[in-house]
Amino acid sequence: GRGGAKGGAKVIIEAHRHEGVFIARSKEDALVTLNSTPGKDVYGEKRIQVDGPLGADGNATKLEYRVWNPFRSKLAAAILGGVDNIHMGPGSKVLYIGASAGTTVSHVSDIVGPTGCVYAVEFAHRMGRDLINMAKSRTNVIPIIEDARHPLKYRMLMGMVDTIFADVAQPDQARIVALNAHYFLKNGGHFVLAIKASCIDSTAPAEAVFAREVKKLQEEQLKPQEQLTLEPYERDHAVVVGVYRPPAKK
Amino acid sequence: MVLNILFESASGYALFEAVETEEIGLELESVQQSVLDLAKFGKIVKLKAFIPFTSAQNALENINSISEGILHDTLKNFLEANLPKVSKKGKFKLAVSHEKIGQAIHEAFEVSCDISDVAMEFIRGIRMHFAKFIKGLKDGDLEKAQLGLGHSYSRAKVKFNVHRSDNMII
Repeated sequence: GRGGAKGGAKVIIEAHRHEGVFIARSKEDALVTLNSTPGKDVYGEKRIQVDGPLGADGNATKLEYRVWNPFRSKLAAAILGGVDNIHMGPGSKVLYIGASAGTTVSHVSDIVGPTGCVYAVEFAHRMGRDLINMAKSRTNVIPIIEDARHPLKYRMLMGMVDTIFADVAQPDQARIVALNAHYFLKNGGHFVLAIKASCIDSTAPAEAVFAREVKKLQEEQLKPQEQLTLEPYERDHAVVVGVYRPPAKK
Repeated sequence: MVLNILFESASGYALFEAVETEEIGLELESVQQSVLDLAKFGKIVKLKAFIPFTSAQNALENINSISEGILHDTLKNFLEANLPKVSKKGKFKLAVSHEKIGQAIHEAFEVSCDISDVAMEFIRGIRMHFAKFIKGLKDGDLEKAQLGLGHSYSRAKVKFNVHRSDNMII
């Protein structure tokens, strides 16, 4: 029938447990973020307008949210899968490795808001073009078209970050995250790593691949704290969340 | 032994000096502890000199050189003016981020460059607190410089073709 959130259907926005993320409650519920560029979508996603708080003139202000599809974004899938913490909120500085065309980056950009920023690294030029175009209207996104295996190439563009998110689907992704962490991740900062088992070893069972990746992380002072699979949104995918150089317990 | 530290930012080049104090030896563990706290870190690391890039074009030339490990004239002149003189040779080291730029600097100035774990830890600390060391930088200025330079660096990488209109084959 008609699209869930269109045509005057009553939509109520609720704050999600993760700060900066919202749920739009309607006929069907949807994960959404507050659009920092109202009136504009990034990749054809659905937008939802609701009345915000009353403005100075007594009229309600309009707020616009963008629907975040868990089948297209591993971070959204992890949130709907109940991940304990994404370690990104308003004001966070995030290094996003494997930014691709910037669809998920745009939602992270909404989440961290004007006081945060996203360093978005992508090596493929084709995807990079879309990323750069997206970043033009979102000034908290710093596009970096460079190989994440050589983080020192982009050192002049970087500050220290609170969180590294990586979705690179490369066999050496644990090493890539570790390299970047050693240069740019704060002590006690966090990492969120999406792992696609078949990209690392297509012959071994997914569980074995995940366990091996976790071990590689541990060897690099990246301490995994949580692991969840992305079923039913992705097959043989896991997200590992953890902490870098955790403060010593006294 | 004095440790000088080169830091390359989106706003310009900076030279720092690490001073060994009694409580903080220049060892990995104590440096790691001190970088977290600006009050402590500011006591062992002092800004010696800073040179802002003169234009967006100047910044782009410099990041292109730095990412390839080439000594750009801006950096060469900056180091010439601010590194301790050669008569003190052997009494100081220069911490740098990458061995390639270290080699280039060594060839030009015969300075011994340091890319040890301690050097890396100092650079992490400077990256963490950089904006607070540079007086002329207001809140958000560094991020603006990163944003502008990120766009120009990345645009150059995808070869002017940002509008996705792929070249026609005639």
